[in-house]
Amino acid sequence: MAEIRFDDAAIRGIVTTAGDRKVMIEDEAEAFGYDERTLKRLKRSMGFASRHVVSDPSVCTSDLCAQSAHRLFKGLAIDPSSIDALLFVSQTPDYRAPSTAIILQDRLGLSTRTVAFDINLGCSGFINGLYTAYSFIHSGMERVLLCVGDIASRFAYPQDKNLTPLMGDAGSAVLIERTVNSPSAFVLHSDGSGYEHLIIPAGGCRQPVTPESLEPKTFEDGAIRRAVDMFMNGGEIFNFTIKVVPAMFEELFALSGREKETVDYFVLHQANRYILQNIAKRLGVGAERLPMDTMTEYGNQNSASIPGTVNARLSNVYSQKRVRSVFAGFGIGLSWGACMVETDTIFAPPIQLYQKGQA
Amino acid sequence: MTRDEMIEAIAEVIDTEATLTPETPLESLEEYDSVAVLSLMSWFDELGISVAPKDFEGLKTVADLLALAEG
Repeated sequence: MAEIRFDDAAIRGIVTTAGDRKVMIEDEAEAFGYDERTLKRLKRSMGFASRHVVSDPSVCTSDLCAQSAHRLFKGLAIDPSSIDALLFVSQTPDYRAPSTAIILQDRLGLSTRTVAFDINLGCSGFINGLYTAYSFIHSGMERVLLCVGDIASRFAYPQDKNLTPLMGDAGSAVLIERTVNSPSAFVLHSDGSGYEHLIIPAGGCRQPVTPESLEPKTFEDGAIRRAVDMFMNGGEIFNFTIKVVPAMFEELFALSGREKETVDYFVLHQANRYILQNIAKRLGVGAERLPMDTMTEYGNQNSASIPGTVNARLSNVYSQKRVRSVFAGFGIGLSWGACMVETDTIFAPPIQLYQKGQA
Repeated sequence: MTRDEMIEAIAEVIDTEATLTPETPLESLEEYDSVAVLSLMSWFDELGISVAPKDFEGLKTVADLLALAEG
């Protein structure tokens, strides 16, 4: 059972870079075929307002993560060659092979004595990546660089009215270091029986790319996309989330021995405001301790949404105080995980936007 | 909860000001959309009733929602 505690690893810094182009939902409504009533309803209940995407179609997730990593190294005065491992968590790698993490090792000036590989996860990716980083430290490493994020505007079909208006582009870099007396607890879950609810069906070995899979079609859910694009069954994902996430929090409180009252902030995957309000209500925690509106401004940042929320909404808190946090991610896989960690005045500047030439 | 209270609660959950009866066709309610279905699923879950998105396919009237709530 994946329930683990550590006390020898901690986060030292978190930097997130979001797409440079801000798109307002009003400007996209026509392309998605929303009438006025639908637009109003989606703005009010789901929290649709704007999202940040990259303006240059050649920019990859690794470029956003590289810009974040440079800022992180500078902010913490870290020599890149002192890093023992680089993990890249994404569903939008530079190439189908090799691992983008290895390309980043060279690009960021890390030593060739670095462990580097990719992890293919989305919404739960930050938790699984952080767990892997903490495990590396526990096994003897000193410093691990965790890069997470997605160019979601690359895997969602531009006219898919169900998925595209939710999605934003972002890449984070997080530094994890050896420390003492920093208790943390992780709970991780996987359920492949729901793999078809969030999926890019074509482009792998099971369903190779064919001329047909590149043809846009209107699917049963009324949305236009291609078989090579991401599909989401929103109802199934919502239903899954409200069932598993509250139960996972209970497991985490029991494992850590700390109740919800002792937690300063709950930073959850920012799927959309509607899901977060629902979870917050079940958890009995208000918006002052559980930020819900990162998606409203930046879009759903996938695996970067938890670090993205730290940078976009809680930069002052994390930079100035000791904080006990619960982080939780849930979605594609299906995969869900949560952790309780302590941080002490880390480097956490406000979220930055991508600038060409900075990576 | 009585049947009338259930109907009142359904109106509140799907956020409609229309007066509902068991015979009210769901498609006559402009608020009955995919967001309303999420809200109903969440409400059923809080009541301890386990439903899946596909259970809402083919429902025609408020009475069908009541039947779903009654299992």
